[in-house]
Parts: sequence; C-alpha cells; structure tokens
Amino acid sequence: MNNQIGDTDTDTDTNVSTDTSTDSQLGATTGVETSTTTTAGESEEQIRDEWTDYRFDSPAKLSVEDLNVWYGDDHALKDVSMEIPEESVTALIGPSGCGKSTYLRCLNRMNDRIKAARIDGSVELDGMEIYDPNTNLVELRKRIGMVFQSPNPFPKSIRDNISYGPRKHGEINKGLLARLFGRDDSEKEAELVERSLRQAALWDEVNDRLDDNALGLSGGQQQRLCIARCLAVDPEVILMDEPASALDPIATSKIEDLVTDLAEDYTVVIVTHNMQQAARISDQTAVFLTGGELVEYDDTDKIFENPESQRVEDYITGKFG
Amino acid sequence: MSEGYAHENELVSAESNLYDRAMDVGIALSITTFVVGMITFADGVSLAATGMELVTFFGILLGVVAGGVGIVAVFSYTNVVPITSQRVRGVALGLLVSLVGLAVAAAALPVSLATMLGLVMIVEAGLLVAAGAGSRFGFVETDPSMSAGLLAGIVFGLLGAAIGAVIVASFPGVPGVIAGVPLWALGGLLFGVGFVVLTVSPREDIGSTVPPALIIGILGATIATAVIGVGWQWTPENLSGGFTGGSVIPVFVLFGSLLSSWSAAKCRADFGARGRQYGAFFVINLNAFLMVAIMAAIVVFVAVKGIGWAFHDFSIGALSLLVVLAPLLVLTVQRARAPAGTDEWHSAARQFFRVLPLAAVGSFAAMLLGIIVTGTPFEIPYQYAILVDRSTVMLDTAFRVTPSLAVGNLLVIVSGTLLFTYFLRRYGSLRDVGIEYERLSPVRQAVPAVIGLLVLLSLVFVGIGPAPGGIPIGPTVGLGLATLGAIVVAALVLAPLGALLTGEGSLAERAHENAQLLNVGLFSGVALLFAVIVLEWTAVSNPQLGPLAPVPTVALLAALVSICLAAFAARARRSTDDTLRHRVLGEEVTLALTAAAGFVTLIGLHVAATSETAFAVGPVEVAIHGSLSWPTVLQGAIPLGQAPGGIYPAIVGTIWIVIGASLFAVPLGLGAAVFLTEYAEQGRFTEVVETATNALWSTPSIVFGLFGAAFLIPRLGNSLSLLAAQLTLAFMLLPLVVITSREAIKSVPDEYRDASAALGVDRWTTIRSVVIPAAMPGVVTGVILGVGRIAGETAPLILVLGSEINATNAIDVLGGFAFTTSPPFITNEALLNSSAALPTQVWGIITAGVSGSTSKGWATAFMLLVVVLSFYAVGIIARTYFRRKINYE
Ligand SMILES: Nc1ncnc2c1ncn2[C@@H]1O[C@H](COP(=O)(O)OP(=O)(O)OP(=O)(O)O)[C@@H](O)[C@H]1O
Ligand SMILES: [Mg+2]
Repeated sequence: MNNQIGDTDTDTDTNVSTDTSTDSQLGATTGVETSTTTTAGESEEQIRDEWTDYRFDSPAKLSVEDLNVWYGDDHALKDVSMEIPEESVTALIGPSGCGKSTYLRCLNRMNDRIKAARIDGSVELDGMEIYDPNTNLVELRKRIGMVFQSPNPFPKSIRDNISYGPRKHGEINKGLLARLFGRDDSEKEAELVERSLRQAALWDEVNDRLDDNALGLSGGQQQRLCIARCLAVDPEVILMDEPASALDPIATSKIEDLVTDLAEDYTVVIVTHNMQQAARISDQTAVFLTGGELVEYDDTDKIFENPESQRVEDYITGKFG
Repeated sequence: MSEGYAHENELVSAESNLYDRAMDVGIALSITTFVVGMITFADGVSLAATGMELVTFFGILLGVVAGGVGIVAVFSYTNVVPITSQRVRGVALGLLVSLVGLAVAAAALPVSLATMLGLVMIVEAGLLVAAGAGSRFGFVETDPSMSAGLLAGIVFGLLGAAIGAVIVASFPGVPGVIAGVPLWALGGLLFGVGFVVLTVSPREDIGSTVPPALIIGILGATIATAVIGVGWQWTPENLSGGFTGGSVIPVFVLFGSLLSSWSAAKCRADFGARGRQYGAFFVINLNAFLMVAIMAAIVVFVAVKGIGWAFHDFSIGALSLLVVLAPLLVLTVQRARAPAGTDEWHSAARQFFRVLPLAAVGSFAAMLLGIIVTGTPFEIPYQYAILVDRSTVMLDTAFRVTPSLAVGNLLVIVSGTLLFTYFLRRYGSLRDVGIEYERLSPVRQAVPAVIGLLVLLSLVFVGIGPAPGGIPIGPTVGLGLATLGAIVVAALVLAPLGALLTGEGSLAERAHENAQLLNVGLFSGVALLFAVIVLEWTAVSNPQLGPLAPVPTVALLAALVSICLAAFAARARRSTDDTLRHRVLGEEVTLALTAAAGFVTLIGLHVAATSETAFAVGPVEVAIHGSLSWPTVLQGAIPLGQAPGGIYPAIVGTIWIVIGASLFAVPLGLGAAVFLTEYAEQGRFTEVVETATNALWSTPSIVFGLFGAAFLIPRLGNSLSLLAAQLTLAFMLLPLVVITSREAIKSVPDEYRDASAALGVDRWTTIRSVVIPAAMPGVVTGVILGVGRIAGETAPLILVLGSEINATNAIDVLGGFAFTTSPPFITNEALLNSSAALPTQVWGIITAGVSGSTSKGWATAFMLLVVVLSFYAVGIIARTYFRRKINYE
C-alpha cells in the first residue's frame, strides 16, 4: 500500500517518506488542485478540473461532491466529484490500490462498516443526500445493490441465497404461520429464483440443484450467484466490483451482455481492470490514478481514443498500472 | 547437509533388501513389546508367567495377528484391497516373525515374561547399533543428515543424565558425597554431557541409533538381570507409597519400545527427512494409541464394575427390540445402497463393507423374529456380587429377551419420530407432478383451517380445563370431533389407494398421475390426526365406538395403507424406464414411508395422550407399560427390600439438572456472546469482560457451590432444591458458552455480514439468519464440552442439592407445573424440592459405606457415564446436523 505515496517517480517506499508526504498532502488538499503523487512509471502532471467535468443530458442518478475518504491517516480518496447518469453503465478503471473499491463502497455507504474509515463529502441519490444522518440504510441498500470483488455467497442453499433478501424484507413469506394460513409464497419464490438466475446466466447450470449448498459452486458460478442475489432485491443502482475477475471468457461475455441489458433499466457502476471490457460495455468511464484521485471522467470513447491527461493515456496504453 | 539438491536417490525404490527386512522386523518387535507392555500394565498377563502359560499367551497374540494379517493378505492377493507399500508389508510380516520368535523363545527358555521382555529390549538395542554402524560404514546406502539434531540431543542428554544419576547412586560402596557435591549429581552430569555429545556430534545414523540403543539396552538389562524384578520394591523415604516391579517394568518396556520404534523407523526410512517423518509417525501413533487405550480402560473398568447391577433382571420383549432396531435398520440399508465406486476400483471390498452392518442388524432382527415365532426366550444368566452385612453375597440374575409382543408407547414414539424425520428429510417434493384434481384444492385449503381450529379448541381446553363447572364439555366435544376426524383421515388415506388400484393405464402411470392425491392425502392425514390427538389430550377424551377406539385404529389402518402404497410405488418404480417417472415414484415411496412412520408414531402418542393403558390388536399391543423391565434404570430404591432397587430418581434428577442448566445458560450465553461480538465496541470493555469470563470458567466448582448455598438457596425457599442446582450449574456453564460462542461468532467471515448488509438487511436479522447459523457448530461444541463438565459435577451439587442415596421416587418436573391466579401465575413445586442425582449418589454411597451399596455405587457411576455419553452423542448429532447445513457435502 505504500507505493501510491511518494514524492518522486522513483518507487521509494520507506515509512518516513510516507509519513511526511501524507502530512503535506493533507495540507495540500484544501489548496489548489495539485498533485505530485505518482507510481513508478507515471509522469508528473497537474490535474485540471475540466477533465472530470462530464456533461450529459439525462438526469443524474448519483451525484458525488467533494468526496474524501481517510483510512486512519491514509487519505484514500481525494476530492472526488462526479455525476453518474441514469440507466447507463459507468466504468471505473485505474491501477490497483487507487481507491476504486473505496469509491464504490461510498455510494451505498458500505464504508460505514469499516471502523477506520472516515468519509467527508456528499453523495446524492436522485437528489437525496445519502450521508444525511437520518438516512434509512436498509432502504438505501435495497435501492443500491452491490456485487463484491470476491464472491461471497451465504453458506445456504442456492435457492435460499437468492430469496434471502426478499424474504428478509418480507416480500416472500414461507414461515410456518404463512403455510398454515395458506399464504405460502413458494410459487412466488420459485419464480423469483428462476428469473434472477436466468438474468445472471446461471439458471441452466444449477436448475436441477437449487437445494444444494452454494459453497459447492465453482468460483465463477458463485460470482454469478451473487449477481443474481443482488438482482433479486430489484435495486435501482447496481455497484459491481470486478464481477468478472474470477470468470472464464464465456461466462465473462455472459456477464458483459448482462450488464449491457441491465443498463436499460438500471444504473450500473462497474469497476474493472480489463480495458477492453470497459471499452465494450460502458457508456462513460472514470479513471482513478494512484493516490485516490479522479483524473479523468468522460464518454468512454473519448477516454479510450483521445484522453486529455498524459497519465491516463499512459495507463490505458499499458505503460504502467 | 547437501550442496544444492542432489538427485542421486531413486524416486521409487521398491526393491528391498535384507537391511530393510531386518528393520521392519525391528519395528514390528518394538510394536509387539509395546502392546505386551500395555497388556502387562493392565494385568492382562502376569509378569512372572513362564513356560506353558507364556507360550499360550504369545500363541493367542500370534493367532489374533495372524488372523488380521491373513485377512488383509487374502484381500491384497485377490487384488480387492491391494496393499502395495513395501513398508506395510514388511511390518506385517515382521509382526508374524517376531511373535513366532517370541513364542518359540518362551517354549525354549525357562524364563519369566519380565526377563524375556528385558532380553527382547537388549536384542532391539543390538539391532539398532548394528543398523547404525552398517549405515555409517557404508554397508547400506542411506541418506543421513550431518547430525541427529539439537532437540534429540537435549532429549537423550536428559535421559542419559537421569540414568547416570540412578546408576551412580545405586552402585554399592560408592561414597555419597565428594567435596560437598553429591556423587549422583556428578554422575548424572557426566552421563548427560556424554549423551548430548554422542547424539549431536556424529552423523545422524550413529547419533539417532547408538544413544537410544544404550538407553534401551540399560533398561532391558536391568529387567533381564532382575535388578528390577517382579518382586522388586522401592519405598523412598519421603514418600508414603512405593514402587513395585509390577508397575515399573511395564513402564520401562513401554518407554523402551517407544524409543526403539522411533529409532528403527528412522533406520528403515534411511534417515534424513524421510527418516524423521517415519520415526515421528511411529512415536505419535503409538502415543495416541496409548492415550486411547488408557481412556478406553477407564470406561471399561467402570463398566465391568457396574454392569452387573446395572443390568440386574433386565428383560425386554423381542418386538420392542425390533422397534428399537428399526431406525438402525433403515440407516444400514441406506449405507448398503450407497454406490460402491466404479468396477475397477475395489468395488467388491467396498460393497462388502457397506453391506456388513446391514447383515449384522439383519441377522439380529432375524434372531428376534425367531424368538417371537418359537416363543422361547433368550437368556444370559450371570452372577454378581453385593455386600450384605459386610459379607459378599452372590446374586443370580439374567439378561432376557422375551417373546412378548407388547411395546412401550415411548419406544414407539421415539423410534417412529426418528424414522419420520429421516424419511421426511429425504423426501424432496412432488410439486407440479401428476394430475391436479379439481376437488383437491378445497381439501388443500380446508385441512390447515381445520387443524388450526382444532389447535385453537385445544388451547381453549388448556385454559378453561376439560370440564368447567363440572360440565364435561371436553370429553363430549372430543368424542364427536375425534371420531369425525378419524373418519376423515381414513378417507384421506384411502383415496390414493383407491385411485391407485382402479383407473386406467399401468401401475406406474396411475401412481404418477395420482401423485397429488398421495401428497395431499398422506400429509393432511398425518397432520389432522396429530391435531385430533392433541385435542384428545387437552379435552381428556378417549372416544370408544363399541370395542374400537377410532383414533388408534385409523392410525394403524393408515400406517398399513401407507406401507401398501409404498410397496406399490416401489413395484411400479421397478417397472419403469422413464427417468422422470422413476424419480417421481421414488419420491412417492419416500413419502409413503414417511407417512407410515408418522402414523405409527401417532399410535404411541394416542396411548400417551389418553387414559388408555394399551392399544391392542391381538397379541400385539402398544402400552404404557411395555415389555421392558429394567429395574436399575426404571425403578427407585426399595426401602429395606431384599431385592436391589434402582436408581431411576437419580437418573431423572441428573437429566433435569442438565436440561435446566442448559436452558438457562445457552440462550443467555449466546446472547451475551452476540452482544459482545457484534454490538459492543471492541476495546477495553470487551477485554475486561473476556478476562472475567475466562476467570469465571477456571473458578473451582466448589466456589460456585458455596455461592449457590449462601446466595441462591435463601432466596429460593430456603431448602436444597433442584432449581438452585440448575442455576448453580448454569452459572458454571455460562462462561464456557460465552467463550466458545464468541470464538465461533468471531470466526464467521465478515464477507457474510457485508453481503447481507449490502442487500439492505438490518444487523439483527443478519445475525439471526446468517451469523448464528454459521456459528452454530462452534456453539454446539462449547455446549457439549460444558454439559460434559456439569453433568458429572459433584461438589456444588452436594451443597445445593444434597446427596440423597436411596431415593424411592423420581422428581416430577413436568407434572409439577401448576397455574395459579396470582403472580407468578405458574409455579412448580418439584423444582423447589431436593432430588437425587447420579454424581451425588455415587459420592454419598462411597462415603456412607452402607452394606450392599458399593456395587450400587459402581452401577450408578456406570449409568452416569452412560448418561453423559448420551448427552455427548446428542450434541455430536446436533453439531453434525448444523455442519451439514453450512457445508456442501
Ligand atoms: N479497510 C481498509 N482499511 C485500511 N485501508 C484500506 C482499507 N480498504 C482499503 N484501504 C486502502 O485504501 C486504498 C484504496 O483501496 P481500494 O480497495 O479502494 O483499491 P482498489 O482501487 O479497489 O484496488 P484493487 O484494484 O486492487 O481492488 C489502498 O491503499 C488500501 O490499502
Ligand atoms: Mg478493489
């Protein structure tokens, strides 16, 4: 985690230099937009505001304003502002450790669950501030679903994994009382399970073993199960943290098709390390670079064909990262 | 040791030579002496045995080993379970060789077993030295390290020092002290240093053979030359007891053979890394074997002492035993049906071992049937000793299986419930299969409603009593409703049978089409009849139509019909090739068997719920008092009686104490653990609580007892009471439950919590539906350990419960509940009374020393063991269940 903080482009990672530079940066964040943080291979340059000033016609689903995140003393995300349009796919790319996951977690307040994290700034969903102290987290996370970087199915059956969310939200009743009073929602559950699994391109592989434990699935199947589980709650926004990193090319292309389809009804924000994937599926792309800064945010075509920032160009063409 | 990686060794060296064979024999000899050492330790054979006695002893050992090796060899030869490892073959052969050798030596030499063991140890030592030297001087090719290592050096140094000190100190005519230093200390130091040098400085092949050989040789020589013989005794000045040859020789033998097996194994695997691994393998395994043997010995010892009284006058009807056997039979059938691998892969042997348990249970069942058919009881008469007026009296008694056809309702309920759950769990679903008859859907809806009504009605009767104001409403209403219910159930169950027997198409087609009828009929039948029985119970009604009781009659009829349905479905299943239909019919068989088990259980429940004493069909009856007679376990003490009474009150007391303590401690402890782990800020506070909990767990039990006696008892009616005992033990159990639950909850991965939170599920629901289920196996483990501890806890119970030893009546906790009109609205006299308990009874009997009761004490101890182990078994089953649920198996 040390390599994102350093005064020069040589990869010095002693603790002493880390500490001093952190201090100086803390001071710098309030001042002008300057940056001196680079990784090995990155060239130095100043970030300009207009690089991240992306304009679009449709209404913004999420708008992030001056978001800062600290893990203890570690300033992981610096002054990020960006607006995410409705019913589109937004890709987040950047080198490892630059804060993509951190940023994603801020959007549904999953960072609240990390004790060391301190968040400052504003995130609005449909114009409502989600960092309001009175926010209903349950409702928020129902609306903004998330798929994690590593698959994390519950140690339950496949069916129970999918129906977990709706059942806990009271959408599906399968308890003893419900059965006794004839309000058993088994049918509804079966439909939901099938629909979600089909959406996540998993149905054909597991339809005959829905009662098996989900931990017995392969890594890629588990990830698709997690996507299905997220879809079962019917969110408005779906945050995906490298959902295809554990998948083979065929499953990956299924997920990509799925993401493209989802964009018709949902707003998808997806982190990926795969440039081609970002170029293929996303409508707009945000590039984070080392140090937790949003360097450039624009139409995907623009980012990949004609980026403003030299560092972004270097990153995209594979000079570092 | 090597410069880089030398690959001069062969990857596979299947070829073996004389050296390997010799070392295998050495290992086998060590194992043999180890086992003989254990046997002598347990007085299985006398150390002074000579001549014929000794030959017989070795002959028996040889027979056992030859049998085992022979069977495996036959399997191996016929390629069923091929044993291909040279080492295993070598050791097996070595076992035979060494036992033959020992038997021959016993016949040829006029020496005692002790001397012989000593000689064997000397031989082992010689073998080790020869092997070490052979390797060092290059006669055999091995792969030794530069040195045996510092750890071995320290161990042998310490051993050498001990031996040196003893030798010097026991040498006659040596001055005790030279220049103020005790000579034995000098000797010890000298020997110790010598051994360290001898172990560490030469190459590994010498360093790990010569020092152990010296030690083994010295130990062997002391035994062989009878320096420490059978009659040897040593009473140290500052110790009141003494050591005898009878106990020291086995220890020497065990220790020596452990050492020689290690060293020989190292030699056999050519020293180096492989040698260390093989040597460690033997030390660890023999050690584990010893531990297991010791624990088994304790159990066997108590059992042997107590089993005589415990099974005094035991007798049981053959049919009852069959009922008990039924769940086992089902389990063994399941095991036998499991696929036994592919054809090439030793399937014959697997099949054999899969079927073996079924064959055993089956032949036992056949034997029981034989008893029933021939009408001759099976008896094992035996004698056991009790003390009457300080003199031993032998009592004649017997263990009997009678041809009686009466079965206790409890047995029926337990066995039936087990089978019902088993089949229900195996049953998948029949949803959307077959024809959905139009008349079915009202039935589907009506049955739950009717059941709900019956339950409500039962609750009303619980509230107002069956005969409010002297008007027998309950019995009257019960008569009508129960009879009606029984008739409906009969109709529900007969409908699928009727549909199966009539109609078009083949049997399989009809069975497939009528799946819904079967599904609704059987499930509704079981549920409805259950509700009816609940009503019978609460309304205190037992309808009789002439000589017939409708409810159990219908239950029996339904059980028989279900079995018929299962048989038909099974037959139909055989005749079909269609995979889907095959599966559906399989489900139908399971469903019908589920229902059959359910209906049989309901017969037992009916007998338990009503005032009826038995439900009889011909000679077969389900009765409150079945054919099991087990005075020790089912009766109280008989005051001043000649015949020995039982310990039923103590068993019941212990069970209630454990249940009460667990009911109190487990939810509370789990709750505390959840709070501490999931809600409380991790920091100073949780640390303090954790330390306090750990300290509480290590608090001596007598302290808890004092607390109970001084704090609880004055507040709970001022007398020794069951409730005080339950609470005291609950406090003891609490910390362990907290500690283990906390660990279990902590080890649930955070990913699950994140995943749940990201779905918008609140924290408490997450804990309840994800965290706790995932932590459950760990929690159960803690409860098992804790229950094991409190079930046998004696000291605190003596203080809060007393130590009643001749209780005649068991405490009736369930019957003790009474409702009152003023707070606290529910009271339980029984809980506030003292009770007998197994551990306090053991203590009471042993300290009281009343005539005749030592054997009762042993029997009580034996039953205590059985009760604790049963709780253990229940816990392990629960844990397996939870584990299965969260693991993919
Ligand atoms: N829970 C945490 N506690 C402390 N520091 C953290 C935590 N999570 C992330 N960080 C730090 O924040 C920075 C950004 O991490 P983040 O996980 O957002 O990176 P990322 O861009 O998602 O990287 P990757 O592509 O490898 O997943 C890193 O320096 C990381 O060490
Ligand atoms: Mg990440």
